[in-house]
Amino acid sequence: MPQSVLSRARVLSMLPREPTEAELQEWLFGSKAELASATAEELQIEVTPDRLDLLSEGGLAQFLQGVSGSARGLPKIATRPSEPGWTVRVDPSVAPLRPSLSAVVLSAPPSAPLDAGLLAEAVRFQEILHATIGLGRRLASLGIYPIERLHPPFVYAMEPVGSVHFVPLDGDAQVSASAFLSSHPLAQRYGAFGCADGRMLTLRDGDGLLLSVPPILNTRDGGEARVGDRTLLLESTGTRPGRVAEGVGLLQLPFLARGWSASPVRVEYSDRSEDGRALVESRPLDLPAAKLSAVSGRAHSAAEVEHLLARARLGSHPHPHGWTVDVPPWRPDLMTDIDVVEDVVLARGVKAGDGELPPSRTRGQRRPESRFRRRIASALLGLGYVPLYTPVLVSEEAVRLLGRTDCVALVNPVSDQFARMRDSLQLALTQVLGRNLRRGYPQRFSEVGPVVVRDPAAESGARTSYHAGAFLASEAAGFADAAALTEYLLSGFDAHGVREPVDLPGTIPGRAARLRVAGETVAEMGELHPAVLSSLGVPVAVAWAEVDLTALWPLVRRGSA
Amino acid sequence: MVEEPTGEAPDGAAPLTLSAPERKLLESLRERADPPWEEAELSEHTGVPIETVRGSLQRLRSKHLAVVDEEHEERPRLTPRGETAFRDGLPERRFLRLLAETAGPLSPEAAAAGFDEEERSAAIGLLRRRGFLEPGVPFRLRADAPASTGPFPEEKVLQSIGGGDPEVDDTVLQALKKRGLVAVDRRSIKRWGSSEEGRRLPLAPDGGETLGSLTPTILSSGVWEKTPFRPYDVRAEVPFLRGAKPHPYLAWVEEFEEILLGLGFEQGEGPLLETEFWNGDVLFMPQDHPARTVHDVLHVEGVVGHPPPAELLERVAAVHEGRPMPGERSSITPGWRTPYDRAFAAHPVLRSQTTAVSARFLSTHPRPPFRMFCIDRNFRRDPVDSTHHVEFGQCEGILGEEGVNLRHLVGMFRALTEAIGVKELKFRPSYFPFTEPSIEGYIRHPRLGWIEVFPGGLFRPEVLAPLGIDVPVAAWGIGVTRLAMVALGVNDIRDLFLDDLDRLTGGSA
Repeated sequence: MPQSVLSRARVLSMLPREPTEAELQEWLFGSKAELASATAEELQIEVTPDRLDLLSEGGLAQFLQGVSGSARGLPKIATRPSEPGWTVRVDPSVAPLRPSLSAVVLSAPPSAPLDAGLLAEAVRFQEILHATIGLGRRLASLGIYPIERLHPPFVYAMEPVGSVHFVPLDGDAQVSASAFLSSHPLAQRYGAFGCADGRMLTLRDGDGLLLSVPPILNTRDGGEARVGDRTLLLESTGTRPGRVAEGVGLLQLPFLARGWSASPVRVEYSDRSEDGRALVESRPLDLPAAKLSAVSGRAHSAAEVEHLLARARLGSHPHPHGWTVDVPPWRPDLMTDIDVVEDVVLARGVKAGDGELPPSRTRGQRRPESRFRRRIASALLGLGYVPLYTPVLVSEEAVRLLGRTDCVALVNPVSDQFARMRDSLQLALTQVLGRNLRRGYPQRFSEVGPVVVRDPAAESGARTSYHAGAFLASEAAGFADAAALTEYLLSGFDAHGVREPVDLPGTIPGRAARLRVAGETVAEMGELHPAVLSSLGVPVAVAWAEVDLTALWPLVRRGSA
Repeated sequence: MVEEPTGEAPDGAAPLTLSAPERKLLESLRERADPPWEEAELSEHTGVPIETVRGSLQRLRSKHLAVVDEEHEERPRLTPRGETAFRDGLPERRFLRLLAETAGPLSPEAAAAGFDEEERSAAIGLLRRRGFLEPGVPFRLRADAPASTGPFPEEKVLQSIGGGDPEVDDTVLQALKKRGLVAVDRRSIKRWGSSEEGRRLPLAPDGGETLGSLTPTILSSGVWEKTPFRPYDVRAEVPFLRGAKPHPYLAWVEEFEEILLGLGFEQGEGPLLETEFWNGDVLFMPQDHPARTVHDVLHVEGVVGHPPPAELLERVAAVHEGRPMPGERSSITPGWRTPYDRAFAAHPVLRSQTTAVSARFLSTHPRPPFRMFCIDRNFRRDPVDSTHHVEFGQCEGILGEEGVNLRHLVGMFRALTEAIGVKELKFRPSYFPFTEPSIEGYIRHPRLGWIEVFPGGLFRPEVLAPLGIDVPVAAWGIGVTRLAMVALGVNDIRDLFLDDLDRLTGGSA
């Protein structure tokens, strides 16, 4: 879950009194934020991925104002008209790489220009947004600029790397973009998202001053917001319009919560333009009363709903069938009416006592095939085979040992130990054999479980089948044990097959067979090869039988269902 | 003819057999409780040789039929040198006699006659310490030698021991022992009696036979009607049995399944290798959702997947893009405001949530009301440690019918809580891309405190509408791995895959 360490003082400074630790815990338990730890200076907060607004001091404080009753309803969004030229022109050259851009201008209240605390909060929140909605800046990145020292309009474009020179925000000297890209740590991490074919993304002002090289870094000359600044440009570039709008909508929250005002920034594309107003205004969402009751299962009075909406820091206006709810730009999680319903329901709180078990008008039942598998498992247990539950993912080593190289390999395994999907229980059971060397013999164990077998006709390219596999390890174990076990399992379903010789991985040639019923292969069996046994250090012979229950089921279902 | 017992009963139970001497001895022990019997006395009474008596009594004792009190006794006796001294006098007495018989001092040569060197030295040393002899040689009696020449203490003790009286001065005894004149014999005295079980043990009439193993011959001949069975030593050690028994995790899952079956849920199932479509798209998870990257979801190589049915694909694509679904006039959602990638939808991935099974179930257009559950494996790219595993279990559950709401979901969680024997349950808000509202149920565990157990919600319209479901559906995806660990008292998630045959077949798995 996304998390951040917030300044306790900055959060509490927006509340009329300091809550007790118990109050804080209780209020947050009823929210999508969680207090992971707290000190006198800091609050470590975790949130669900849809409520990133609660990871800013301003956003969390606004929420706490709502639940504590010190402020209710939609927080005021102060807006100011845009000044001429507050426009960003998006050059068509960015389209293949990072085509979307959103921006707002934020102005400080007359008596409170940018201070160190707000700047730190904004920068920290910016990094959280990079990591979350930006997916590590791949999908979206954000920048903060001192617009009062710049000359709009702005241009977002791709330029040849060789033509770009600047002083990086964290540097003192001018560098060429090519040197920057090859040496700066941020360029090495994020450069690929902003460069292609010898060209790179740039954001410049009307005088050609470089503000930043998205999504990597701002410049010292055009992209350094400082304490005392009064007007800031917030922008986001990215691959998707939704993401960049979300980013800017959220990043302005710390400023708006401190009384800053927002002005829209027009974004001009080659084929259209956006006035940016949606980012600085609340938007209406309909909350039908009937839907609220249908979802919550309760009747709500109008006063209760309006109280709960206000507690959740949303504005509302009643209409004959419900309410129009005002949603602020930092709540991208509120997409449709159902999302507002959730806010109301959660603002009230969900209690165990609310629960009501609906009368059961259905009949509980296992899948017939599952019952069939359970019968097979019971038969194996009855024969003294210890039932196992082993991972479907098996090691490369197990695959090599048995030569079952056809089983599906993972592209991104967590380790070699879980690198393949077993296509036979033989892979897993062999490993069990090797892990029980110090136990005496005979050993009998089995598993009834899934395997994954390549199948071009299957929707995912491989089908999941259920097998019953069994190993008998003893001095006298042999092919006949495996064959007898197979026949025993099948005989319970009145199925009889024909064995035919076949070479099977990991078995002694001439001592392995497949069993067909009505022409379908439903089982394999054999004696494990001494090369396998000696490699594991197993001192006795091992008989292996494996029935493909998924293949067998259609052949026996009539008699079993 | 009665079959002779082999001494081993079927299945290793030890028969309580008695040999003839044991039986004779037990009969004697039962005849007289007080005073208890000494072994020699028993031997004499029964005519059983003493060595046999000793062995048989021990065997009766190991069968809990006889009890014994044991005492230890010390008895001094004269050694061969002590016998000589008893007969001829102690060396010091003989030396005094020699001096008395010799007029004047006794030369060393004369003193050597009749004594061995050790005796003579001991005698001279002792007489000097007691003031009988002048210092130096030749040896002569001191003028002021003690007048009394009565018996020395050693002589008294020697006489007592020689005369069969064991009650002697211990200091003197130890001195004589040190001089090799006396030895001390230790012996134990055992006094035997019958135990309570020995008194109760049924014994066949004198000379009669008893039955051991109940063989087919004994059974069919009817001899068991007249001949008593030889009792078994029911306390004897028996072989440790190991056997196959249900795997603890699978057994727990089965119990949990039974709860859901009882609540009217039918079982569902789905493939472990899914496509991105079923694992995420159809659940209204944006295709660029952070939980869908290669960092979280496991991908496979060399396997080609296929798109879902075209009509369904187009409906899901429309919802993702915020367009009206084909045949509809308005959009139900703003969607993700990004083009939907149809090729991506066909990519195979390892199933990361059993919600995919629910989606597949819903795509079959079940007739409401319906209830479905699925307890199965999922895969996430989690490094394996004591609390994380690349494979983990989820219990998916959906409940769809007209009028289903959040209270029903809470009611279902409450029923499950009660079914697993927990009383306290509380809820807090949560988030899942496919449910709204989303909640998380916590139960109070007696040892672990509040633990998250029940995540769930109502499926979003963006999930249900493309699947053609027009009733509300409550859904949950319980982390059964965690719940099983709590229920089974397992601290390491890897133990759920227990494959140690000793533990699985022993008593404590």
